[in-house]
Amino acid sequence: MNFELSEEQKMIQQSVERFVQENYDLPKRVEISSKDPGYSKEYWGSMAELGWLGLPFEEKDGGFGGNQIDTLVIMEQFGKGLVLEPFIANVVLGGGAIQKGGSEELKKEMLPGLIEGSKQMTLAYAEQQSRFDLEDVATSARQEGDKFIINGQKSMVLNAESADHIVVVTRTSGGQVDEEGITLFLVDSNTKGIELQNFPTVDGLRASEITFDNVEVSSERMIGELGKGFDILRVVSNNAILAVCAEAVGAMEILYKDTVEYTQQREQFDHPLSDFQVLQHRMVDMFMEYEQCKSLLFRATMETIQDPVLAQRTIHALKHLIGKSGIFVGENAVQLHGGMGVTEELRIGHFFKRLLVIDSQFGNADFHLDKFTNF
Amino acid sequence: MDIELSSEDLAFRDEVRAFFDENKIKDGEDYFSWRLGWFKKAREKGGWDVPKWPAKFGGPGWTPTQHYIWEQETARAAIPFDLPFGLGMLAPILMSYGTKEQQDRFMPDIRDRKVNWCQGYSEPGAGSDLANLKTKAVLSDDGTYYTVNGSKIWTTLAHVADWIFCLTRTDDSGIKQQGITFLLFPMKQEGIEVKPIITLGGSHTVNTVHFTDVKVPVENRIGEEGKGWTYAKGLLEHERTGLAGLSKSLVEVEQLKDNARSVKRGNGTLMDDSSYKSKVAELEIDLMATEYTELRSLANAAAGEELGPESSILKLKGTEIKQRIQKLTVEASGIYSAAWGDGGVGYPFAKGGTGGYLNSRYFTIYGGASEVQKDVIAKKVLGLTKGSKK
Repeated sequence: MNFELSEEQKMIQQSVERFVQENYDLPKRVEISSKDPGYSKEYWGSMAELGWLGLPFEEKDGGFGGNQIDTLVIMEQFGKGLVLEPFIANVVLGGGAIQKGGSEELKKEMLPGLIEGSKQMTLAYAEQQSRFDLEDVATSARQEGDKFIINGQKSMVLNAESADHIVVVTRTSGGQVDEEGITLFLVDSNTKGIELQNFPTVDGLRASEITFDNVEVSSERMIGELGKGFDILRVVSNNAILAVCAEAVGAMEILYKDTVEYTQQREQFDHPLSDFQVLQHRMVDMFMEYEQCKSLLFRATMETIQDPVLAQRTIHALKHLIGKSGIFVGENAVQLHGGMGVTEELRIGHFFKRLLVIDSQFGNADFHLDKFTNF
Repeated sequence: MDIELSSEDLAFRDEVRAFFDENKIKDGEDYFSWRLGWFKKAREKGGWDVPKWPAKFGGPGWTPTQHYIWEQETARAAIPFDLPFGLGMLAPILMSYGTKEQQDRFMPDIRDRKVNWCQGYSEPGAGSDLANLKTKAVLSDDGTYYTVNGSKIWTTLAHVADWIFCLTRTDDSGIKQQGITFLLFPMKQEGIEVKPIITLGGSHTVNTVHFTDVKVPVENRIGEEGKGWTYAKGLLEHERTGLAGLSKSLVEVEQLKDNARSVKRGNGTLMDDSSYKSKVAELEIDLMATEYTELRSLANAAAGEELGPESSILKLKGTEIKQRIQKLTVEASGIYSAAWGDGGVGYPFAKGGTGGYLNSRYFTIYGGASEVQKDVIAKKVLGLTKGSKK
């Protein structure tokens, strides 16, 4: 058993931590978030230069041959600043799908550009009726010679307005909720028939609803085998869960520490709030939730590296606990900050919003509890 | 014990329903003229425009059961909006502590919904510990006016208010509950600056208000100088029991279930999902109990008895229930709970749901944070004070 990071990972951790401290105070974040495209292109360029975008990719594709621990290290620090750059959409989702299922040609074409920051990608998988079920896919891809014709609608696609390419999850055969018969394609965002409805999300990020109306894609742009896309999707979704949970752990750390600090400064009834036992105990509870989430995050990440199939149950456990505890920590940080907690002026509210959104992504606490129970 | 409505009560309920039905807004009718007309007609019914005012001041003088029926019916009917500040907060203080002149001067405009009031209580350093307030009011040498300086915070709708009722400090030599003076003054005057506070839900309802040398004539003081805390305290207790909003929660729970039924899951809907429906059920059970806690409290009040211990839990339970409704709306919205703004993405009910949930976090903070409420209950109801060992 060893929970120590490697020397390289420690260096990355320090470098990301410094970047967040220097570039991500609240006013700066609000400013970046309010302007198109919703993140800083300059920061994105720096992240590429520092090699962060290439960490989990194989060396032959221009990456650094890292794994989910490297992503954890980055995402936990990102969580402490609520970083807006589309790391998840590109590195974990779009890039992750290519890495897992793409042909060598497709990898060569896409990954180097993504790693150096010149190409952007995202993943379109959710649909209105699917809620959190990955296998529920109604968007169809119909074969016509050496082409496929895609029709349907995708929901809550992260950073789609900045993406040059979209990995789209389609149904090529089987019933609407069959794991068999799902196929992934890589399409150019400006292909005829693709229409985006862009909007901001609660946490200050960007997402889109996307309509595919007779969108043509060459069969060469298929990721993985025909009808076998679900396995890719599940791996990508699990990695995304690990990534957002690491981010959530970073955010929870800020929330409980800010609360401890605030209650020592704020005086009511001639005492600092931190003198009141009921508030002390609440903060101990917040701290305990944070530590427990961190432990389960480590467990799920290490088990995934060891054996992704066996780790599935732990992933469900993790996403459940992060959803539940994240909202507990967020609600109580707000409560203990009193009126100030409910304003946009303090950073805690923004961290709370991110935790709320994380619960709604890749399955919420209830969904994963149900999966865990029936595993 | 008897929960059957009498035939008089049933007749009253029918009358209320008929009134709401007859006076619904018509297509194309101007909202604000309809609103004023509605209150005028309600007044002609015998004080229905001021249901909570005593008969002596023009209210209807209803029994608790009638109040309960009214609450239930108003939660379901399309009636005009109303603000609590003048009608429910200041008016009771004027009735108890105001002079005849002050009552005649302020109450008719409150009743006619002509003047909007806001409440100047909380300050940056005086939240749950309200008595810690520092806004200074200094009496002029000739004793004709006060000069007010200081800041208020969380002032709801200060940006649209015509007048403010305000707690000020006129003396800081004694314990902090003493030396507080209750003043009324217009908001639209020099020396008053209102700044918006944007809350997590992205909306502007509350403000900070700064006073610089605001002059207030002594005839705008309620009661005696230095006794303002006593006057406000009665109101605060009223506010703390009046925040439960249960009738509205009952309607919202029905809406919540309808929303969940509109979310398809497999062959059924979200209301067939075991964890979701359990949470809705638990919420409903709490609400059923709280509804009767409120009724018990109402019945005691009507019998002229002191508010019983059960009334102390109403704000705690009522606000917690409201927050749970909001949270379950967010959960029902699923992936669409992350969408922000007016985009209208996903389910129709998802729009604004997350903003509503975020703003609802305030419910357990304003009017005395829940932790402080529990301190008060521990002390006043359970008799748990330091050194209370038996």
